[in-house]
Amino acid sequence: MNTDNVASVRNDPGRSRSLSSWREHHAWSAADSLRRLAARPLGSLLTIAVMGLALALPLAFYLLLGNVQQMGRALGQDQAINVFLQANQGESQAQLLAKQVGERPDVASVTIKTPQQGLDELAKLQGFSGALDALDQNPLPYVLMVQPRPGLDAPAVGRLVNDLHDMRSVAQVQDSGTWRQRLDALLGVGERVVLALALMLALAALLVVGNAVRVDIASRSEEIAVLLLVGASGAFVRRPYLYAGIWYGLFSGMLAALLALAIEFALSGPVAQLSQAYDGKLQLGGLPLWLLAAVPLAAAVLGWLGARLVSAWQLRKAV
Amino acid sequence: MIQFDQVSKHYAGGHEALSQLSFTVPTGEMAFVTGHSGAGKSTLLKLLGVIERPSHGTITVDGQNLAKLRRRGIPRLRQRIGMVFQNHRLLMDRTVFANVELPLTIAGIAQQERGRRVRAALEKVGLLSYERQLPATLSTGEQQRVGIARAIVARPSLLIADEPTGNLDPQLALEIMGLFAEFQQVGTTVLIASHDLPLIKRMRKRVVVLDHGRLVADLAAEEVL
Repeated sequence: MNTDNVASVRNDPGRSRSLSSWREHHAWSAADSLRRLAARPLGSLLTIAVMGLALALPLAFYLLLGNVQQMGRALGQDQAINVFLQANQGESQAQLLAKQVGERPDVASVTIKTPQQGLDELAKLQGFSGALDALDQNPLPYVLMVQPRPGLDAPAVGRLVNDLHDMRSVAQVQDSGTWRQRLDALLGVGERVVLALALMLALAALLVVGNAVRVDIASRSEEIAVLLLVGASGAFVRRPYLYAGIWYGLFSGMLAALLALAIEFALSGPVAQLSQAYDGKLQLGGLPLWLLAAVPLAAAVLGWLGARLVSAWQLRKAV
Repeated sequence: MIQFDQVSKHYAGGHEALSQLSFTVPTGEMAFVTGHSGAGKSTLLKLLGVIERPSHGTITVDGQNLAKLRRRGIPRLRQRIGMVFQNHRLLMDRTVFANVELPLTIAGIAQQERGRRVRAALEKVGLLSYERQLPATLSTGEQQRVGIARAIVARPSLLIADEPTGNLDPQLALEIMGLFAEFQQVGTTVLIASHDLPLIKRMRKRVVVLDHGRLVADLAAEEVL
């Protein structure tokens, strides 16, 4: 053994702590945690797959809900109240009634639909043309399409409908806004369900990462003990595990985004057919690009959080 | 300087590992702590490394009262103490270089400086040519020297060793002790727990003798026969 340089080892210049050294350890921790993940591919892939599926589910529901909303908007653009006049009422009576209704402060506009226009519309619908040919006269009445003033609340629309119903010469009033309100209410429930599901599955993803990090820490307890004994701080020891959490989150988020895109692709055919059936009125959309980019980032934050919570708890028990 | 003042350590179940222990090791002194198995040698070193806390009494290292040391202050203290363990406690999946480099990485020393110091420490223990090897490929004595290189690389003011020659042959044990003595000569305080009485006698250093956790003898170097 060489024994001539003890003094040089003992009396070297002082420590040069630096930001670059801190950055260097971050870079090393990020790379080392990635190597550790790659060193046990099956376990890492399973963790990422479970997290990815958990995150893809709310994305799929979000996609579905968004499209139902869009469908509701496309089909429910016309919120008019249809006022069917009695069959014996002619054009002059229809115009008189339209004028009376149009003067109401809670009405924005009134349009008259003649029996012929109604018949033409019916003829366009699939399967009706043959039946209409068999009719010897037009059985359809005049219809007033009453557009309520924008911003009118549901009770006020209800009162308007009642008033219209009570008018002379009116056979039936059909409020097309009602089903839209019901759809909106259902979509509101759906939004809450998707939000609750997303929160629950995010929690599940957090637990999955937490468990993976817990197992990793448990398998490296000896290494952690040595690090602490030679003066490592909790933050230093924790760093590679936090990066592992970030990698798990990032990769599972990317997997979730890919799965969501696959679902979107699988739905594109049937959606195109549905749109065609509605004369192209339905333009169903996919997941926005910002969301697809945000999911891996949010998942990385989730992974970091899971790793942070578990590592803080686990390392508290260390030396 | 290390100062133990009326230090006692009780474990759960009532076992008293140390009882009202008082002694002082001045800065730059090398001392042995000896006694039979279970005398309290390892507990004493664990208290110095704040691996355990005393039940009573005060321990002071370079003026710092360890009893008042908060959890977040422990890493800073341990960076000033070099620890050598009987079972080496090396990271077996990292090279000799990486093991020795560890305290410097933790202390935030720049890469170039780390390399220089690690090689100096490895040269000191005669293992410079082994820097790229994994510890598992080394003999027990070589592994112990890697442990010593790791303990000294950050230039601690205090070096503590728990049975550092326990698994070594007498000749190698003497060489290792010689290394510790050299560090004492450059101002490092060295405290070694050992039950190897022939070796302790050959070193001719101060000896603190424990028996059932009590100090039964404190012999100056010249009193050691």
